[in-house]
Amino acid sequence: MSSSGFPINDLLRRKFQTSLTIATLTLSVASTLFLLLFSNRLGHGIASSSGILTQGLGIVFSQFILFLGVLIFIVGAVITAFTTFLMMAQRTRDFGLIKAAGCPNNLVSGYFMTELLTTSFVGCILGIAIGFLMDYVVANLVFSSYQLPNVLFAPLVFIVFLVLAIVFGLQPILKATKMSPVEALSPVKYYGLSAGKKNKTVSRLGLTWRIASRSLFRRQSATIRIVILLSIVFILLTVSVAGGIIARDTTTSWVQNTVNKDSIAIADNSMGNQFKLLLSTFSGATDTESFNYSDSNLAIPQEVINQLSALSSVSLVDSRLILKEHVQEVSNFTVDYTTQTTYSVGDSRQDDAIVIGVNPENLAGTWFTQGRFLTQNDDLNAVIGDSIANTMYSVDRSKGIVVSNALVESIAFQNNTFNIVGVCTDPINNGLVVYVPLESLMNITGYSPNLLLLTLNNSTDSSASITQIKTLIQSIDPNLNVFPLNSVIEKNTNFLASTWQTIMLVPIFTLASAALCLLGYMMLTVDEQHQEFAIIRAIGAKPKIVMFIFAIQSLVVLFSSVGIGISLGTIITLLILMQQPLVTSFTILEITGLLFAAVIVMFIFSLYPAFRLSKASILKIIS
Amino acid sequence: MLKNENIMVYTEALEKIYQIGEEKIQVLKDINLSIPTAKFIALCGPSGSGKTTLLNIIGGIDRPTSGKILVAGQDLTLKDEDFLSDFRCLNVGFVFQAYNLVSTLTMAENVAFPMEWTRKPEQEIEKRVDELLEMIGLQHRANHFPSQLSGGEQQRVAFARALANDPQLVLADEPTGNLDDKNGQKIVQVLQLLKDQAKTVIVSTHDTKIRAIADQVFYLDEGRLASENE
Repeated sequence: MSSSGFPINDLLRRKFQTSLTIATLTLSVASTLFLLLFSNRLGHGIASSSGILTQGLGIVFSQFILFLGVLIFIVGAVITAFTTFLMMAQRTRDFGLIKAAGCPNNLVSGYFMTELLTTSFVGCILGIAIGFLMDYVVANLVFSSYQLPNVLFAPLVFIVFLVLAIVFGLQPILKATKMSPVEALSPVKYYGLSAGKKNKTVSRLGLTWRIASRSLFRRQSATIRIVILLSIVFILLTVSVAGGIIARDTTTSWVQNTVNKDSIAIADNSMGNQFKLLLSTFSGATDTESFNYSDSNLAIPQEVINQLSALSSVSLVDSRLILKEHVQEVSNFTVDYTTQTTYSVGDSRQDDAIVIGVNPENLAGTWFTQGRFLTQNDDLNAVIGDSIANTMYSVDRSKGIVVSNALVESIAFQNNTFNIVGVCTDPINNGLVVYVPLESLMNITGYSPNLLLLTLNNSTDSSASITQIKTLIQSIDPNLNVFPLNSVIEKNTNFLASTWQTIMLVPIFTLASAALCLLGYMMLTVDEQHQEFAIIRAIGAKPKIVMFIFAIQSLVVLFSSVGIGISLGTIITLLILMQQPLVTSFTILEITGLLFAAVIVMFIFSLYPAFRLSKASILKIIS
Repeated sequence: MLKNENIMVYTEALEKIYQIGEEKIQVLKDINLSIPTAKFIALCGPSGSGKTTLLNIIGGIDRPTSGKILVAGQDLTLKDEDFLSDFRCLNVGFVFQAYNLVSTLTMAENVAFPMEWTRKPEQEIEKRVDELLEMIGLQHRANHFPSQLSGGEQQRVAFARALANDPQLVLADEPTGNLDDKNGQKIVQVLQLLKDQAKTVIVSTHDTKIRAIADQVFYLDEGRLASENE
């Protein structure tokens, strides 16, 4: 018998177990590679779509995808490690048998190591091939054009997973080499089985529950491993499902709230259309570079503002002066008090931005802001959009800017400097926007407000109110018009929702791959216990009893994992991934529904091997 | 004849063919048997003669390819798996050569669990477990797991489990095959006890001590019933 002949023949003869292990490894590697490639495609798509979405939101998306990528990798690695560990741990008895027959320790170790290496290598190689195939198929279905994937993920996944498979598979082999043949052959040394504690002869609990729970508790190490594995899967699912939904709702609210619901804009025809265009840049529209914001014909007569403020159907008049300015970063200094060293913060970067003068007392919107928004007492303070913060106030080592923080720096235009007190998320001009007090901007530029945002009373008939307002403003200035903004806001939120929808494919694929991996794992564990199920049936248990025992085992394992995984996943989602998360009762209902559906799907999947076993003839199982 | 209360096992032209790949192997050929109740039967014959297959078919674990089989007045030939499960639980006690105890249950629980499917009261189950463990002399091992017992002890527990529901028929497949003389003798004593209790017992065996206590010995050779000795 050659040293490589035996293990290969052994693997070929144990077709079912070998193919099951390779299938589980293949699934694990393939799904991990596919999910990484898919996430990378999404992240790359978002990153490359400059001019669409604000940069702050782009970062939220990228962080989310990166976090999912890390979790996906961990799940795949854990499944791979557990699979090979289980495969080799189940061979302890064979190890003892061969040793008892007189085979030297190093030779028998060599046999099993060859088996381990062969299955791990074949599983990983097949996984890589199938991962690329899945990516090709899905990328063609989801994205309009197929681009070559980032092939660097393949060697990363292959090497890490192969090493993990070998390291974890080696553990039981090394343990078995230290055992005497008698020990290795003893049922007490079977994988995960420990000697039982004294029990009451017949407990009051049902027999089915007792067999199921005893199997779980006596196979403690196996049970703990599967609970850990599933907990990580559920962390991933919670982060991707709950995180995705919360992030979608939260970011949608950020965009939605920047203009109050049912608000209308009053402006000169060209200015009104330009404002709608500025709002639409978020969802892909292109700004007209040549628009002259400082045209004196755009100014809104004070009489219009006065008359609109007096209308009962109008609850708020937000006067704005919108201009395009060349803005410049104004650096600052900070002192490290422990070392008494002074550091320069920022540089003097420049860009064009929309500058909006607002009256902090009358704002027809709220902003998600880091720091704070403008208040009545602010004079030379400013709030900048997240895209400006990321382009003009970020660390840029290539330019020698190692410390930068918008909130300790200032912004200047037309020789006036404003202290930055907040960074907001704003769809206007895709976040390339600066908010300053209206009075200050009017004093600096000498211009009057060129746009009004009106919030209508909820109780009034909005179409009648709009007609009334239109008649009123055109009686004073025929060039003025009314611009309802609901459709633009809706377009922006729909665009955001569709981007999230594409990202939410990741959790769906994650669930599918986790369920498939779980199926493979469950098949291995059913295979491990098949002899006992056959005995129970031979003694007179109906097939449904076998299903019931396995269902209990599966439920105990699933619910333990769900408890741990969902709790940790929720904490990670709320504390790390999202700032100021928006969680409504509907959000909770939606998340609960999806996670519940995921648990049900996994539960049904986990029962399939037991279902097959219960349908098989007793003699076939025993043999 | 078919519903005769004095006949425990009746077979008519019983055949069993296994298909392994392209090859068909006929394990049982035209078996015609009639075993009265309360008889102790030894089933003898060389290895591969079909003894275990015949026991499996009588016990409702396997199905014949053709022919008829009646056990305790029930025609098992066309029954579904649920019926056969109930039938095995209530009417048949099966003892395997390899003991086949459930490793995750204690000795007492292994004996108790066939009774729990019949929904017997818990106190009755506990009493019966004590009786059976006492009968096989292993009361002191009630809370041990199979892995903590010797082969002989495990086989005695397997007998106790087979008797749990007080079945009319006990089937034992080479019960002393894996045991030494001393432990084998203990199993023979248990079998003698069953004979004394007027159970119908069918034992496949090579053991001359078991053959010695049998009321009737059937010989199987290459799947055929070769002879019957009273």
